[in-house]
Amino acid sequence: MCDFARGDGFPPPYRLSVALIEFVDVGVSYQRRGGGETVALEQTSLTIASGEFICIVGPSGCGKTTLLHCLDGLHTPTSGRILIDGREITAPGRDRAMVFQSASLMPWRNVVRNVTYGLELQGVPVREAIPRAQAMIDLVGLSGFEDRHPGELSGGMQQRVNLARALVIDPDVILLDEPFAALDAQTRELMQTELLRVWDATKKTAVFITHQISEAVYLADRVVVMSARPGHVKAIVPVPLPRPRPASARRDPHMFEIESQVGALIDGAHPEVVAV
Amino acid sequence: MTQLTQTSAGLVTDDAALPRRPPAQRTGALSTRSLTQLSSIVGGLAVWELVARFLIHNTAFLAPPSLVAIRFWQMLLDGSLVYNSWVSFEELIGGFVLGVVAGVAIGAAMVQWKPVDHALEVWISALYAAPIVALAPILIIWFGFGPWSKVAVVFIMVVFPMIINTQAGLESVDRRLLLVARSFCGSRWKTFRTVALPSAAPFIVSGMRQSVGRGLVGVVVGELFGAKAGLGNIITTASSVFDMPTLFVAVVTLALAGVILTGILRSFELRLAAWRDVA
Repeated sequence: MCDFARGDGFPPPYRLSVALIEFVDVGVSYQRRGGGETVALEQTSLTIASGEFICIVGPSGCGKTTLLHCLDGLHTPTSGRILIDGREITAPGRDRAMVFQSASLMPWRNVVRNVTYGLELQGVPVREAIPRAQAMIDLVGLSGFEDRHPGELSGGMQQRVNLARALVIDPDVILLDEPFAALDAQTRELMQTELLRVWDATKKTAVFITHQISEAVYLADRVVVMSARPGHVKAIVPVPLPRPRPASARRDPHMFEIESQVGALIDGAHPEVVAV
Repeated sequence: MTQLTQTSAGLVTDDAALPRRPPAQRTGALSTRSLTQLSSIVGGLAVWELVARFLIHNTAFLAPPSLVAIRFWQMLLDGSLVYNSWVSFEELIGGFVLGVVAGVAIGAAMVQWKPVDHALEVWISALYAAPIVALAPILIIWFGFGPWSKVAVVFIMVVFPMIINTQAGLESVDRRLLLVARSFCGSRWKTFRTVALPSAAPFIVSGMRQSVGRGLVGVVVGELFGAKAGLGNIITTASSVFDMPTLFVAVVTLALAGVILTGILRSFELRLAAWRDVA
């Protein structure tokens, strides 16, 4: 099951992405074992412009990951619709690519082969896939590590491979599910700056999930604040700071202002949501 | 993606790369371990020699290793050892390859399609546990005295552990990797080939290592019940005339084959499992 209709004719030269994402009253509920149902998401509506960087923050269990999986087509909403350029999402497609929370690399494949993995599944011939992977490896700063295996890489480098594997298929939309959650604070900040550099170079629509407010504000054009279960959009906070945002932008006083604004919007002081 | 040429040359990496996996440690020819192993073998042979020469005094009861070694050399020279070993080896490899292929296919089918699993599960656990080698005489009746009956015995010895190991391997697949394949539009077959099969590979090779010993037993038992040639045939002929040295030559050859084949598969297994250790 795969939506091949979109994103065809995509090999280089790379297209400029145009994707307008619309969540229309999306609801997701799970049948609980032994009766009853858990409502993970209810009445969620959200519009994301093409080329926009959206961060979704909220306490754990607010349905952030469910929302992202629905957008990728890994999960079908119980109610409502998700549209990209007016077409409803029913399955994973070439126009979207996911950067998973755990790096989820194939431990038996080296860096290049991990980056080409998505292309291979989509039937791109190896002689075309390898140069494209090499370009992405260079872009994420892993030149020279092509033949290493994931076990030989640090957590930050594994996430760079994870990012390159998603970018190389040249999607319109890149979905990031707390990709830096497992990294130490210093590596995390470096990866955020790197991500913005890569994003500036590729101009993809990005939907990034996190529970760290400073991360969300630093990265996003708009921060979507979600409430605890059942999850829904509580507020949307724009971040009108100039781009590109170098690492020094973190110390911008406006940044702190927006961070405290977002922090205040999140229910009380949920232990997992920390304004750093 | 128009600015792809803007690469990250000169970028600071977040953290230094971990050191590369050190090359496999070479144990010296005279390490403590190999010394102990060597003295154990020499000591065992010495005890055997002494017991046979001074306690038993009867080569029809127990032949000393020196006599076995001499007979080994003679049989090597007259070609009978090589010929009969080759016959047994062909039967072993035939049954082993068929058993591995069928075992992996059946194991995979059981994981992919639950009804297959439900239908076969009881049969497989019953047949795996049963002394299935007792079926050897029946297989000789069905397939005759030629090599195919022995291939069949080896097959039934090998196929069940292969099914069980393949199943265990495929069920141990990391669900997150399956999700990655699905997200990248992987078809069922491509997902199986690129995620499930590589994950199960160490289990499959480990199953092969366990099966090869069972296969050797299968060959010999098959040949004991009826064969024109082979190491089992040597054992039957030699024991009917109380020719202990010849019988031991066949047994020692089988033991050597077991050690070598297991060793080959073991090194293969370690190489495949290497990424698990560093992951």
